[in-house]
Amino acid sequence: MDQAVDGLTYQMELKNVGKEYEQTEESIPAIQDVSFTLDHGEFACVVGPSGCGKSTLLKMAAGLDKPTSGEIRFCGERVNGPHPKISMVFQSFALFPWRTVVGNVEYGLEVQGVRKTQRIDSVRKYLEMVGLAGYGHLYPKQLSGGMKQRVGIARALAVDPEVILMDEAFSAIDEFTAETLREEVAEIHAETEKTFVLVTHNLIEAVELADKIIVLSSRPARVKRILDVDLERPRDRTRSEFVQTHKSIFALLKEELESTMIRRRIRKISEFGKLSDMEE
Amino acid sequence: MSVAYSRRLFSAEANAHRKVAAERYLWLVSLAGIFFAWEMTVRSGLVSQSRLPSFTATVLTLASSLLDGAFLARVAQSFLNLTAGIFAALAIAMPLALFAGLRNRFDTAMTPLIMLAGALPDIALLPILVLWIGPGNVAAISIAAFSAFFPIYFTIREGTKDIHRDLFHVAAVFNTGRVNTFRKLILPAISPQLFTGLRLAYDFVWEIVLAIEIFSGVTGIGSYIAGAVETGGVREAFAAILAVGVMAILVDRIVFGRAEAWIRRWMD
Repeated sequence: MDQAVDGLTYQMELKNVGKEYEQTEESIPAIQDVSFTLDHGEFACVVGPSGCGKSTLLKMAAGLDKPTSGEIRFCGERVNGPHPKISMVFQSFALFPWRTVVGNVEYGLEVQGVRKTQRIDSVRKYLEMVGLAGYGHLYPKQLSGGMKQRVGIARALAVDPEVILMDEAFSAIDEFTAETLREEVAEIHAETEKTFVLVTHNLIEAVELADKIIVLSSRPARVKRILDVDLERPRDRTRSEFVQTHKSIFALLKEELESTMIRRRIRKISEFGKLSDMEE
Repeated sequence: MSVAYSRRLFSAEANAHRKVAAERYLWLVSLAGIFFAWEMTVRSGLVSQSRLPSFTATVLTLASSLLDGAFLARVAQSFLNLTAGIFAALAIAMPLALFAGLRNRFDTAMTPLIMLAGALPDIALLPILVLWIGPGNVAAISIAAFSAFFPIYFTIREGTKDIHRDLFHVAAVFNTGRVNTFRKLILPAISPQLFTGLRLAYDFVWEIVLAIEIFSGVTGIGSYIAGAVETGGVREAFAAILAVGVMAILVDRIVFGRAEAWIRRWMD
């Protein structure tokens, strides 16, 4: 699965990606040997125990951080920094408070040097797509969390990227709003056929949106399993196939958490010297 | 809805607006009260006119001073020194503060030293400064820059530290160059703190500029006041003090008031 078949390249490819921070005394890598591929137009969700490094993985895919081993490729090209065709949505929304909704959405085009008259058309188009037509003149402080994230999504779409990376994009929004927004993102995905990668700790969210779920282990993050989700869309949480998929991922993560806890306990015991004495 | 009814509704609303607008100017009433009390204190003979001129006398003197070219030149001189000092402080403090806000190492190496320098009493430094560079505009501008430096440095540093990391990520994801990251992210992000710093600096610097003029004879409105008092012109001194106060408020309202209105539009 590592090699592209017949000269076709994957939209995105992670090859043995690892991340190690020098500061930690124990020097446990944060991410180790993570490999997976994404096809054009695929919706992938990365799930894993909290603190396992999923967000770091996403930042590396965005070119905001560099892996210490392995490589990330976009359309066969190595990702060495931010790429104009890779865009991102943030958990904190990360809107510029001094810019209006329109000002935030057009930001990417503005720094690319696109003229104002040309920007306005795509801004209008994407504001309509996220349901914010008529709100363009407002400042972020006048918007609810859900609306802020709509702006964040429109901003990410406005530069016409091929890949949209979403870092816990629905986690800071109240559940009711988040649910509607997820449905809309699923529609936008179907409509635009762009590739989406969503990092989340919400398994239901993952099953609801993903074509492919990448389950990571706890620190150091490794790929525990990759599951294809072949449920028909729009997805219904109450259907038995949905529940089954959710259950199986939940079981995987639970097993992962339990084994981590045992490992941690063993480490603690060996710190007291009891285990090392026994080994001798 | 009948026309009469809607008209009544409209006029009620207009009345409410008028009331709110009127309340905004309530401070004018208190101010008038203070001026009146001042006037009466002097007129009743409670305080001698040679020590405290009456309000009306002060205003009349100010009016005639404003027609006096020498007086205006002094005011302009003080104002120029003050402005030059603030801009010099801004030019030095801004890059240092941005660097301290963005790089922790630089911050821990520099900021304690700057705090130490800031703790030095600037008024006590005046005579030494005058000894070094002599009394003159350079000395006035230097001391103005010195006292303006600290509020500007610390507010910008704070503002830079407060910028959410994700905003820098946004800038990076959209390939914002260095210049644009400064222009489109850092500068607007720190603007609330920057204006607070400038405002504080502006207040500090008025005092220090007057002090150097009064005590070290640097030409300006301060030396005018000192000279007037020496020659028994208490009225002229009061008029000059009033002029400084009015000017400080005007600049504050016009320059900082506008910045504040813009910031209030978008800040939480």
